[in-house]
Amino acid sequence: MATISQIQGSGLGLKRELIPQIQSLYGQQPLANINFVEIAPENWISAGSKATKQLDWIVERYPVVCHGLCLSLGGLSPLNVAFLQQVKTFLHQYQIPIYTEHLSYCTDGFKGEQGYLYDLLPIPFTEEAVHYVAQRIRQTQDILGQRIGVENASFYVAAPISEMSELEFINAVITEADCLLHLDINNIYVNSVNFGFDPHAFLHGIPGDRIIYSHMAGHYEQTPNLLVDTHGENVIDPVWALLEDAYQLFGTFPTLLERDNNIPPLLEIMHEINKIAAYQDKVERRFIASEQLAAMD
Amino acid sequence: MTTELPGFQRYQLAFTARLRDPHNQPSLAGVSGKRMAVYEEIVFNNLFESVSACFPVASKVLGKRKWLKLNQAFIRDYSASSPLFRKIPEQFLQFLNNTDPELQALLPPYLNSLCHYEWIELFVASSPDSAKPNDIEPEGDLGNSKPVFAPTMQLLNYDYAVHKISPQHKPKQPESTQLLVFLSADDQVKFIQLNPVTYRLISLLQNAPLTSIQALTLVAKELQHPQPESIIEFGLSILEDLQSQGVIIGTHY
Repeated sequence: MATISQIQGSGLGLKRELIPQIQSLYGQQPLANINFVEIAPENWISAGSKATKQLDWIVERYPVVCHGLCLSLGGLSPLNVAFLQQVKTFLHQYQIPIYTEHLSYCTDGFKGEQGYLYDLLPIPFTEEAVHYVAQRIRQTQDILGQRIGVENASFYVAAPISEMSELEFINAVITEADCLLHLDINNIYVNSVNFGFDPHAFLHGIPGDRIIYSHMAGHYEQTPNLLVDTHGENVIDPVWALLEDAYQLFGTFPTLLERDNNIPPLLEIMHEINKIAAYQDKVERRFIASEQLAAMD
Repeated sequence: MTTELPGFQRYQLAFTARLRDPHNQPSLAGVSGKRMAVYEEIVFNNLFESVSACFPVASKVLGKRKWLKLNQAFIRDYSASSPLFRKIPEQFLQFLNNTDPELQALLPPYLNSLCHYEWIELFVASSPDSAKPNDIEPEGDLGNSKPVFAPTMQLLNYDYAVHKISPQHKPKQPESTQLLVFLSADDQVKFIQLNPVTYRLISLLQNAPLTSIQALTLVAKELQHPQPESIIEFGLSILEDLQSQGVIIGTHY
């Protein structure tokens, strides 16, 4: 049971295999920096009685946010309204205040059905695509009765038909849809390597006032100029530097660690969550110090 | 029809066509094949892993090469309609049940039954936590009332002994097989093999407004059994056993 104001500080992307460790260490100092957890509704909707019991346990103890995988905001098939209604019921049932989705697509309308491909595919950055995606975000927000956040996705193929940069596309969609930004710091870095741009300059161009919360994660280096967003490695230094830069630019915002593959023991994951908390602390203290300095003038 | 689509959607269609069938669909103009291969691999591997995890026996029985080809056909030909990853195996089953005769001819005749048997475990494990009906008597008179079965119970009737299939034991001929599967009170999926009479008894009790003794009398009649009492006695002891295992959760009224 949570409200938006309770989503704060550092958090964890919840994986089912981590739940037994969370249960045995709950309330103890090593887990102190898990202030909220994130779940994918696709993994918990009608997942059976064992999963329901686990989710009940989590929701009673942690503020929860939802980060969807398969809404297919840029998809070719009509928005899956029946599924969205299930998400709405789920959000209400567990009092989950935030729902975000990816700025990508996973359906192609094959044979007149949805045609799910279950992956995050890149939307070409065109004017028409901006209007199309923004309209679907608005439709989603109308059905849910709340604003959603959209996440900047990682990708590997640049569409030759794109008419604008990723940054322009994100800004245009967010403005037209009047939605929030779910900022993925690692995705900025992955794309900056894959497509050769300056990730810090990118960060300076995002609408900071729209950030609802953010993701940190590791990736896999397939070749020096191709990074794959696996969430299966530790976060690398340049991504930590980006996070610090983002906090410095926009003030701190809730941030969680995603670890979806090659999952180490929870206490090892906690090192990175603690590091997020430490960066937040550092930047907040810096702000306070500069305000005190200003007050002394 | 595709010419009516905006440019970005025509591009998306070409993109996903290539993901569905990388071996036959053209590569995209102006797109690096190496980069495209990243998507071709992750989309295929993701689905392949979800499907393979649910069908460990079927995949081994079929062998690596055929299993791979079958999964490639699944992605190429099937349009998945559920956004839930958990339902990928169920969609694979639907694909199997609707494959074209040409592909079907390459597959063993027991494959669909085997896959159904492997999938039902996942299905029962993710059944909702259905509340017990209010109007049941946990310790009621089994013989003179209608037993209530666990809401997760599924009765299964296969043409092959699916539970015995392995790479070392591939059935050469059909063998009518009846099973019951349910989720126990401690959330474990349990299978019980049934004889045809018990299978018939449970189907009757599920579908007709009969008490156990009435259903057993009917079964004895269907069997033209000379001593219906022995069938009733035998049947009641089986129902008691099912009650002790948690398949029967009580009786009506």
